[in-house]
Amino acid sequence: MLITPVYIICSPRPLVGKTLIARQLSEFLLLKNGDVTAFDINLKEPSLLEFLPDITETAEVDDTFGKMALMDRVIINDGIAKVIDLGFHAFDEFFKMSEEIGFMKEAARRGVAPVILFVADADRVSARGFATLREQIPKSALVVVDNEYVVRGELPEAMARSRILRIAALPSFLKTYVDRLTFSFTGFLRNEGNSSSELHQWVRRNYLSFRELELSLILQRSF
Amino acid sequence: MAKPVVIVVGADKGGVGKTTVSRTLLDYFSANNVPTRAFDTESPRGTLKRFHPDITEIVDMTTTTDQMKIFDTLNSASPSVTVIDVRAGLLSPALASLRDIGFLDAAKSGQITFAVFHILGPSIASLDEIAETANFMVGAKYFLVKNFINNTSFFEWDQATYNAYFHRIKDATELTIPKLNEMAYEQVEVASVPFLKFVANKGTLDEAANYSFVLRGYVRHWLANVWSEFDRIKLTDLVGSGKPALRSGEK
Repeated sequence: MLITPVYIICSPRPLVGKTLIARQLSEFLLLKNGDVTAFDINLKEPSLLEFLPDITETAEVDDTFGKMALMDRVIINDGIAKVIDLGFHAFDEFFKMSEEIGFMKEAARRGVAPVILFVADADRVSARGFATLREQIPKSALVVVDNEYVVRGELPEAMARSRILRIAALPSFLKTYVDRLTFSFTGFLRNEGNSSSELHQWVRRNYLSFRELELSLILQRSF
Repeated sequence: MAKPVVIVVGADKGGVGKTTVSRTLLDYFSANNVPTRAFDTESPRGTLKRFHPDITEIVDMTTTTDQMKIFDTLNSASPSVTVIDVRAGLLSPALASLRDIGFLDAAKSGQITFAVFHILGPSIASLDEIAETANFMVGAKYFLVKNFINNTSFFEWDQATYNAYFHRIKDATELTIPKLNEMAYEQVEVASVPFLKFVANKGTLDEAANYSFVLRGYVRHWLANVWSEFDRIKLTDLVGSGKPALRSGEK
């Protein structure tokens, strides 16, 4: 059966690297499938829309119109992977709504596979946000992103028990480099001759993690 | 044979959500496999009839012929539950005519199960009504429905006033209908289908429809909350069908 993954990258905290991960994941999916739709629910942060204007749409969850415009698209099993970059201010509202309208259940029924990528941080807001997710998201669909640049050390215990996707920290000069609006991860892989450079390896490693994530999704489904 | 059950849904004020509550009741009974018929007193054009055309008849409760249509068929009609949606301003007169035809006495002596869902509006007048109807309520199950679907607040600013009215009737049970997202409510209106069909994404004739998933989700969530209120007051016990059955579409 056709499965449409929906990646929801979220955190109740700003500046933990959501958009960075959304960018990379979108580029990875675009490279792999030739097709991806990204939704940007960010008003106050560096925005996915600015990085990937061709594949990104803006969306909002503040009112019912916005919710309908977003969720009625996301629930469709059309084989095109979706990436949602969920801004920190929309975190509560989004998951409250998804709980109310029974998003996870309906998704399962329609062959849509939501994957919640929770970008971890060590503070209390994150801990509380994560606890909320644990209550409503099946364990198999909840992945903790351990962004080394943000967490710097051990993950909080509650999160460490979940499935984890690690993103290594980049030295700051490389970080500035990838943060440029014109930077493309796939473009870099193609054009950079030196495949042993740190950034090259970093991007490849992350792409590999995404691939493994997707694979496990398919395996889970086939049982 | 099960005792006939008559449920009157009414209020003396318009626009407090009588028909909405009647609709949730009909959906509830249909989900619990309780055969039900409904009468809509909003003659000549009934809102309830628009949503549940198969089981709803439009009547004028002040005429004798229509009274006969409703009450003389109670024992013979196969559906065991009759829901009557009483038009705004007609609750007290309707109850008075029920008394006159001896219906209330029959209820008192236990031949008929009689329940009243009194939908409260946000004004003192609507509370005054409680006092008025209370006189008729011997032998009936009386439910005071606080309907939040249109964001009413119920005298929470003055507990004394509130209590004076709410405790006027002995054994009255309070019920709360939560708020439904406005857009979802509107869409169901536009679609003219029972809430259940809306949730199941079906049109009037059971054909596949294309309602918003978000709005369906809101309706499902809301309906589950309303039904849990009905479960709480043991409505299925009242109509004699035993335990609430496990329903589809519910958590």
